[in-house]
Amino acid sequence: MDQERAWIEQALQGDRTAFGHLVRAYERPVYNLTYRMLGNATEAEDAAQETFLRAYSKLATYQPHRKFVNWLLSIASHHCIDRLRRRGRAPQLSLDGPLPPLWTVSDKPRPDEVASQNEQRERVREVLDTLPSEYRAAVVLRYWHGMSYQEIADTMDTTESAIKSRLHRARRMMARELQAA
Amino acid sequence: MERLKECAQGERMTVLMSLALDGMLDSSDRQRLEEHMKTCVACRTEWQAMAKVAALFEESPAVGPPLGFAVRVERRLEDQAKKKRRTFGGLAVATGSLSLIGATVAAVLILVLGIAAWRWFDTSPSLQQGTQTVTQVASGVGLMGKGASLFLGDLLLRYGAPLVLVLGVGLLVLLGVWAWLLVKRPGGTHHNGFA
Repeated sequence: MDQERAWIEQALQGDRTAFGHLVRAYERPVYNLTYRMLGNATEAEDAAQETFLRAYSKLATYQPHRKFVNWLLSIASHHCIDRLRRRGRAPQLSLDGPLPPLWTVSDKPRPDEVASQNEQRERVREVLDTLPSEYRAAVVLRYWHGMSYQEIADTMDTTESAIKSRLHRARRMMARELQAA
Repeated sequence: MERLKECAQGERMTVLMSLALDGMLDSSDRQRLEEHMKTCVACRTEWQAMAKVAALFEESPAVGPPLGFAVRVERRLEDQAKKKRRTFGGLAVATGSLSLIGATVAAVLILVLGIAAWRWFDTSPSLQQGTQTVTQVASGVGLMGKGASLFLGDLLLRYGAPLVLVLGVGLLVLLGVWAWLLVKRPGGTHHNGFA
């Protein structure tokens, strides 16, 4: 944490190498969020890069009482919601696009394991695609980032009761999708 | 979902289900939900579907970016900084150019108009015989023109060579900077990781 603070201080002085350390420390959660939100590896990488560029230019507005990673995820989720709104429709499912690597790759997986993982990832993507962008962000922050309702509310600049409602509605929509399949 | 409409308490029960999946349900509400689901097929089906989605997400690990992600971000940051520097540099050069051009044009105008006014006053007897006011104004303009012309003329005679040299070098430098700004514009390459 002290190291993180030091990097932030140095980056505020214009030290891009220090900011590079912050990128390496938090690239995974940020990329995971953009990938789950946008459902496409190429677009997810671009959105994650854009998140860090915005974070660098807005670093002076970061308030140290907040978790730095949550601040980054807030920028990322707003950016993805904007992208999805601009898109005006559900993300394109590019089955030809590269699939991102998993975090927990210990040994080289067997081909059948890879196929099963890819199938599972596709299923997750299909289910998430049924949700409006704000609901999707709440679900991703809850399941993959383990945030509490209050943390999600802070990240998305809304209230705890709004998050409770979004998660409830999102779950009903996803259950309907699963039942229909 | 259609079946859930058959249950009058469907909306309330699904709120409890969502809270239960987040581990936020107190014991009395949990008991209420369990009791209800014992007799309500629609809610039981809904609960199973919700739990299935939750299990699917929980089994799906988080994904990380492709190799070299941080390096690509650093490159974009560098490009952005260069672009900013060039924009500010361009603005400074544009302001400098305009000032130099403005000063040159103003000096030439003063010189030309001054000489013209001076000559006109000297060679115009009708003006010299006019009313007192006209004569005074014309005389003032003529004298001002004469003064400015003499001053600039004297300046050019004394320091003509170094002034022309400084002006020439300044113009060459400005032309060079403008050419560099126009030809080597930043942002020609995108580092989006797949280039």
